[in-house]
Amino acid sequence: MGFPTADKADICLLLEGTFPFVSGGVSSWVNQMIRGFPEYTFACCFIGSRPEDYGSMKYELPPNVVHLETHYLHNFKRGAEKRPMKGDTSAYQQVGKFHELVKSGKNTEQKVAMFESMVGQLGDGKALSEDSFLRSRASWEYISRCYREQSRDPSFVDYFWTVRIMHSPIWALNEIADNLIPAKMYHTISTGYAGFLGALLKRRTGRPLLLSEHGIYTKERKIDLFQSEWISDNRGLVEKNNAEMAYFREKWVNFFSELGKQCYLAADEIVALYERNRERQVTDGAPAERTHNIPNGVDLPRFAAVREARGNDVPKVACLIGRVVPIKDVKTFLRSMRTVVNEIPDAQGWIAGPQDEDPEYVKECQGLVASLGLDKNVTFLGFQKIDELLPKVGVLVLSSISEALPLVILEGFAAGVPTVSTDVGSCRQLIEGLGAEDEALGKAGDVVGIADPEALGKAVTRLLTDRPAWDAAQQAGIRRVEALYTQELMFASYRNLYEGLMAKSAESVAEVGKLKGHS
Amino acid sequence: MAGIGFELRKLLRKDTLLGLIRAYTYAGVISSGPWVLSIIGILIIGIFSLGTVIPDVAVAQFQVSVTYLIASSLVLTGGIQLAFTRFCADRAFERQEELILPNFGGVTLLVTAVAGLLGLGVALYMFHAESILFRALLVACFVVLCNIWIATVFLSGMKQYKAILWLYALGYSITVFAAYWLRFLNLEGLLLGFLLGQVTLLTGMLVMIVRGYPSVRIVSFELFSKKYLFPSLILVGLFYNAGVWADKVMFWYFSGTGSEVIGPLRSSLIYDIPVFLSYLSLIPGMAVFLVRMETDFVEYYNNFYGAVREGGSLSYIEDMRNQMVFVIRQGVFQILKIQAIAALVIMATGAQIFAALGISELYLPLLKVQLVAAALQVVFLAIINVFCYLDQRRMLVMLTGLFLVLNIVFTAISLTLGPQFFGFGYMAALGVCVLVGLWLVNRRMNELEYVTFMLQ
Repeated sequence: MGFPTADKADICLLLEGTFPFVSGGVSSWVNQMIRGFPEYTFACCFIGSRPEDYGSMKYELPPNVVHLETHYLHNFKRGAEKRPMKGDTSAYQQVGKFHELVKSGKNTEQKVAMFESMVGQLGDGKALSEDSFLRSRASWEYISRCYREQSRDPSFVDYFWTVRIMHSPIWALNEIADNLIPAKMYHTISTGYAGFLGALLKRRTGRPLLLSEHGIYTKERKIDLFQSEWISDNRGLVEKNNAEMAYFREKWVNFFSELGKQCYLAADEIVALYERNRERQVTDGAPAERTHNIPNGVDLPRFAAVREARGNDVPKVACLIGRVVPIKDVKTFLRSMRTVVNEIPDAQGWIAGPQDEDPEYVKECQGLVASLGLDKNVTFLGFQKIDELLPKVGVLVLSSISEALPLVILEGFAAGVPTVSTDVGSCRQLIEGLGAEDEALGKAGDVVGIADPEALGKAVTRLLTDRPAWDAAQQAGIRRVEALYTQELMFASYRNLYEGLMAKSAESVAEVGKLKGHS
Repeated sequence: MAGIGFELRKLLRKDTLLGLIRAYTYAGVISSGPWVLSIIGILIIGIFSLGTVIPDVAVAQFQVSVTYLIASSLVLTGGIQLAFTRFCADRAFERQEELILPNFGGVTLLVTAVAGLLGLGVALYMFHAESILFRALLVACFVVLCNIWIATVFLSGMKQYKAILWLYALGYSITVFAAYWLRFLNLEGLLLGFLLGQVTLLTGMLVMIVRGYPSVRIVSFELFSKKYLFPSLILVGLFYNAGVWADKVMFWYFSGTGSEVIGPLRSSLIYDIPVFLSYLSLIPGMAVFLVRMETDFVEYYNNFYGAVREGGSLSYIEDMRNQMVFVIRQGVFQILKIQAIAALVIMATGAQIFAALGISELYLPLLKVQLVAAALQVVFLAIINVFCYLDQRRMLVMLTGLFLVLNIVFTAISLTLGPQFFGFGYMAALGVCVLVGLWLVNRRMNELEYVTFMLQ
């Protein structure tokens, strides 16, 4: 396929399950960023689960993307020869010590040093190679000892395969790091596997690593893991304790937490979208002095034009913009529409977003529409161009159970549409403001509790029926976005970071050059 | 012999002395029935014919001919027997039983063709001095015997142990009576009697098969497709059967120990009788082997792999592994114990038996050596069986190949060393193989979980 390739780039983006193959908030942000920095060349390293999970590219590649490569972590094809091998027992003893340190929860110098030395032994033929992990007696001894000492699950075969599947991406990432083109710096858009790859690259090349976290990866993974049915819990009925996470789930959560921690430790700069997430990063192990808040920003002139396109009346339309997936809690939105329609019989509820990710959930939602008797009021629009959609919308609705800083709220504000949202992520900060100055700008809509369709419905109804309140909310939104959330502000903050890190990168190169000159 | 365990366990569960005796008798008869019956049958024919109307030399010629027929048919079909057993077991496991009967047809057809051509060639070119009738009978017996082995494997695969036993009893009774009745035709008469008995046996088995397993297709050759055939198993079957007969053949054809009997066929009076007698001592050992293997070992084996597949704890998996090892160890000791008793009984009465058969007591030491060798052979079979269960085909080829080579080499050495060393070749070959085999089993069992999980 015609991916662009180059032998070097200024910034290498590490993208796990997003741009350019998946559409959504984070991908749009990546697209916006690349286009906002035409002076730099970008390499995109896409990491996905399996090739069949992704369709074609959802974004046209900006001209300054000079290199794109794709990697799939659960694409097991490596047919290793199944010969017995002894393996290096001392290397696995070290792994054991490292895991103990991880469990103790402390970030000691010793742990960092151990991680460094372990990562150095991952390559083929080395003490902790993939072959050694999969086939060696030393690895077997270690895995079975861990099972005996720690497992609370009776099934050894499940434990064994969980450990294998959990760790196998490490070698895949190591191989990616081996072959990636050189860049002056690395920018990862999440922790997780991409963040871990960033940590590997930083260790290997000495080049700076920047982390921008939209959601909190570990937290989102936890939600995923709670919903996934493929993780088995083999404990008998009496052994189960509802307060306790299923054993394997806990293992996965711990694994991703540690991946995240390693990324936080390796990153030179860590960006959160808003204060609460920054605090969370710090509690999760990010060194506080490296953290920053840089909120998303919108392209004001573009949305001013969208605002111009609005008529004078407030359309009786509540719209949820987002993928039809459980995390967006579309069902709560649909139930709230029942409350809205009871008051305003001709009100419309739109769901604008792709429906291909979770067809089962889409079906359930459509069934719910029918059983609520909302066939005439609710429409699934599929993917929509936001510039054309927003002028027709009265209120934006977010019923999500988890969000970070949703760009769509800001875009709505800029286009003159207030928002009713659940109290997740930074939504309250966006709608009500944070701090005296910000709060003085007014409320740009309403915030309700999670999974409370009645409150959501009432808030929407109030905005759609009370014209002065709606006008006030619209103005507050416009003022807030213009004051705090412009694209220029965001680009300026990032330009600052990029320039600083590039300089650091040049320094590290000069240093390496000096060292080479000396020897 | 999978599947027999169920019946044995039923008998053992009664937990009475009678139940125990019945279980072991059943196992002994089933495990050694067919060939014990054939040895006894041939001996009986020999005994009632000696000193009657037909000359002694014709009796010897008959016995030797039948021995050669059995040996060569076993070696010829040994490879395909094992591969076919495996094919049946695999298809039964996959619930594709409908494939088994047509392939039995295919194997039978192939074996008949090959055995027929081979037998015809031998009969045409190597028995010039014999009558046409004798030569025709030789070919017919050879083809029928080859088919009997295949049918036996088929019915064992279908767990028809009782039927096999009754048919063998019937077949050999008819053999004895027909031979007695036809002995006025001399050598040809005895052989015709043998053929009649064997044809009855084969017909009985075929009737059972056709009635028990109706099928649309009768002949197919999926067995030989790459997907299903294990060439290593053919080698194992060939090596083992050739190994068992190698020392006997060498004694027949070595000038100091063998003598001409009929056509190219030779025999070794001093070697053959002690060997056949010692084989009768195998019955108790085989019974113990079968009971141990098919009840306790299979139970722990199933538990082990069940726990591996369906999620047992590691300590349980290890426990089952240890139980397997324990059963193997116990089995080997028990086989040796019971074989020692059987050997002592035969040794004590050996002089009388030899006197009754008119064999010089000089060869009593050979009997003693062969009795030890027979005990080792049961242990060797047990080891081979363990490796069959663990599906260690490379190991099996190696072990049986080693057995064949060592038997040839050691027997050659014992032949050059002289009479006081006769039999030691066979015993030493088995001894080495048993030691190597036990060492390999031990090593394999020690790393069973590692291999099962990390190298699958």
